[in-house]
Amino acid sequence: MRKAVAAPQISGISNPTKQQVRAGVTQAWMERLRPYLYVAPALTFFFLFFLFPIAYVIYLSFFDWTLLNLEEMDWVGFENYSALLAESDFHQVLWNSLVYTVSTVVLGILLSFLLALWLNKKAKVYGVIQAAVFSPHIISLVSVAMLWMWLMDPQYGLLNALLEMVGLPGYTWLAETKSAMISLILVSIWKGVGYNTLVFIAGMQSIPRDIYEAADLDQSPWWRTLTRITIPMLSPTLFFLLVINTVSSFQVFDTIYVMTQGGPINSTNMLVFYIYEQGMDFYNGGAASAASVILLGLVGILTFLHFRVMGKRVHYQ
Amino acid sequence: MGHVGRTTLKMVEWILLIGVGLVFVFPFLWMFLTAFKTMPEVYQFPPSWWPESWQVENFRKAWSSGPFLTYVWNSLVVAVGTLILQFLIGVPAAYAFARYRFKGKNALFGLSLIALMIPSQVIFLPVYVQMSHWGLVDTLWALILPFGASAFGIFLLRQSFMQVPDEVIEAARLDNASEWKIMWTIMVPLAKPVLVTFGLFSFIYHWNDYFWPLIMTNSDSVRTLPIGISMLKAAEGGKQWNVIMAGNMMLVFPILVVFFFAQRHIINAFVYQSK
Amino acid sequence: MARVELNQITKGFQNQTVVKGVNLVIPDGSFTVLVGPSGCGKSTTLRMIAGLESVTSGEIQIGDQVVNQLPPGKRDVAMVFQNYALYPTMNVYDNIAYGLRNRGTSKKDCKILVEEIAEIVGLTPYLKRKPSQLSGGQRQRVALARAMVKKPKVFLMDEPLSNLDAKLRNQMRVELTSLHKQLGSTFIYVTHDQVEAMTMGDQIVVMSEGNIMQVAAPMDLYQEPENLFVAQFIGSPAMNIIPSENDSQTLWGFRPEKALIMSDAVTTVSTNEMITLRGSIVSREILGADSLYYVETGKGRVVVKMDTDQTVELQTSVQVCVPYSHIYEFDRDSGNRVQRREGKPAPTLAGGMV
Repeated sequence: MRKAVAAPQISGISNPTKQQVRAGVTQAWMERLRPYLYVAPALTFFFLFFLFPIAYVIYLSFFDWTLLNLEEMDWVGFENYSALLAESDFHQVLWNSLVYTVSTVVLGILLSFLLALWLNKKAKVYGVIQAAVFSPHIISLVSVAMLWMWLMDPQYGLLNALLEMVGLPGYTWLAETKSAMISLILVSIWKGVGYNTLVFIAGMQSIPRDIYEAADLDQSPWWRTLTRITIPMLSPTLFFLLVINTVSSFQVFDTIYVMTQGGPINSTNMLVFYIYEQGMDFYNGGAASAASVILLGLVGILTFLHFRVMGKRVHYQ
Repeated sequence: MGHVGRTTLKMVEWILLIGVGLVFVFPFLWMFLTAFKTMPEVYQFPPSWWPESWQVENFRKAWSSGPFLTYVWNSLVVAVGTLILQFLIGVPAAYAFARYRFKGKNALFGLSLIALMIPSQVIFLPVYVQMSHWGLVDTLWALILPFGASAFGIFLLRQSFMQVPDEVIEAARLDNASEWKIMWTIMVPLAKPVLVTFGLFSFIYHWNDYFWPLIMTNSDSVRTLPIGISMLKAAEGGKQWNVIMAGNMMLVFPILVVFFFAQRHIINAFVYQSK
Repeated sequence: MARVELNQITKGFQNQTVVKGVNLVIPDGSFTVLVGPSGCGKSTTLRMIAGLESVTSGEIQIGDQVVNQLPPGKRDVAMVFQNYALYPTMNVYDNIAYGLRNRGTSKKDCKILVEEIAEIVGLTPYLKRKPSQLSGGQRQRVALARAMVKKPKVFLMDEPLSNLDAKLRNQMRVELTSLHKQLGSTFIYVTHDQVEAMTMGDQIVVMSEGNIMQVAAPMDLYQEPENLFVAQFIGSPAMNIIPSENDSQTLWGFRPEKALIMSDAVTTVSTNEMITLRGSIVSREILGADSLYYVETGKGRVVVKMDTDQTVELQTSVQVCVPYSHIYEFDRDSGNRVQRREGKPAPTLAGGMV
């Protein structure tokens, strides 16, 4: 039987050669460096196309400049901001953005919550309707915008035809100030409600079944189950949707560009469209970059809130 | 509740379900029908439901009103090119974030979080100025490069890489596989479902994107399909809704077909962000 | 084929040391089993040999090469993991061939080698299957084949059988030992199961809290434990420990199967030959052929293993007799074995041991 030996030094065992040691050291270095090399390309892109532009647009907002001649930039300090904030058009833009955002977010989330409650069932029909409700979400906004322009055509559009069929007068849709905004809100909700609904349904399905079973055993009436279990358990989902929908309402552009061009009389001009107009059409780089910074600030605040709350949520679980 | 009451309730629910379904699907159907109508049919009030004779002509008109072959090609180049770049850049980053411990990892990861939250619409202006400094405005590069690193893709992949058991990687190390090789031959094949999910998401997003090509391009040779379609609207001689809708079909139809066959995948791809 | 030598190996994670200066020689061609309770450092030791963990201090030699700086793939070792760690996306053939390909073996040689090994472990019909389509036993074979195909100097196995059901485990135990004989390579095997260790190993290394407690052949380990830990770890049920009769500095130990239960009525034989503990039976477990009796005595509760045929009623007063020849004496503080006092017969005289 072999016996344990307290490892004696046996002659003839080679110690590592110098080359081996050197190779080991280089290898250790390589291993240290490796993670940085792997993340470097991604971080370079993030830097070039996210971080640097953020800093750059802040820098640009202190200059008077145009896209026509980028060599010539005059330092104006905060003048762009003061000019912007004094301008009634910009007030209108901010107001429009606010109206649009609040309406789409509140109505969109409310509607999709109700839809989710209704459609979150096993039977096949519900799956089909879920897919139908979701389908506009994956269609190009430009297609959606043109399709709805056609549907909303005041003379020949399908919507007015339907209204007439049930004996109602035709609506002005995109042709008038008030109705144009309402039309854009409508299109946005139509496109986005399916996404929200499915996110809600995913959230509802992640609530453990046994909580509902326990509630049933406690003879909890449906509305109490809804307000005491479903809604509180969905609060992270709800919060996520609030942030995502608000940010995407801020960035609305395609529908405005295709359907209204900000009109009639600026009634649907909102932040991104305004920046585009100032920067690309009116060659007013100063105003465009200052407005960009304001928009960036708004998105930044939301992002910050998002991570604060999400961070806490992760912590509690 | 009585038996009869329950049956009527079921009936009412079915009617409501179909109603809701129609609200979302009928506009597409209307687009389809319009695309095959003649001009007089389009401008008829109240509208006719079914086209009298199916006008395939509308599609030819739409197609020949601009260099649509170029648009389609550019759209594919941009969507596929972006996807490839995102894959090549995202895999190593996700692997490092998932599998290595290194100084500054959390800070760098946090940095990528910012990219996840800032929409391109918010910073298009400085990016445009950068692009014009680099002479890349009005090239396909301007449409691909800004999206080269996808924070969303890196998050998805990282999640998937983190779930691979350590032993599998250790077994590969003992099999004399280099880290680079482990990443591409062990980890990437394991992440296939996530890659498909992300691929669908990214492709659909860039196929559909209107805003970025609108900002970055001026010439037909580098324009993408959404721009081409939107220009049908500006055609002279009043709005030919039948031709516009025929063009629109070119943009919408491929996506709807893919959606029809990969419904669950696509829904997961889009809804995943919320989890 | 190679011997493996560990010189003063330590491993620290943050602020705790899990392996504390281990010295060990694993002879060429041996089947060495590292055994110990969970957290004793046996897996970490194995993983250091594999190169999956770095060594905090000390030296590891495989053959006549110091391997501390070598990456795992260059050490010419193969490892079988507890949960197989097969590559899920590759079929059986590719799983086995992966290591060969990474070494630059030609396609043709790969095919020959893989098919040869598949034949040996009986996987030939399954080469095109994915791991998810295999049973637990088949996966285990793939893991083995994957290790074998590289013809490594040393096989490392980290609890490779613990995910199998009892029947399959027994079968694989036999297969592994015969495989070891066939290949003649060095096997280093980690387990927490002392039965597995005793049945498979020819050299057993008992570890506890990062230290080696004893290195010996199975029989020696059972008959001549060097300390309390080994005495109690090896053998089932564990050795009984009671205070010694004449020396407060030592403890006595005896194995449950070496004690006898006698009726209280019988007058005991000369106390020069054996110790006698009086007590009553508190419970009994029937294992099959043997039964375990739990006896509450004046020196604490002891376990006695007896033939099931000789039933003793519960609650009866009995005396537990242990011949002196089967008493082990340990130092109370260090736990080390104290040399047997002179004049007592050697334990090897006791019969009935397999």
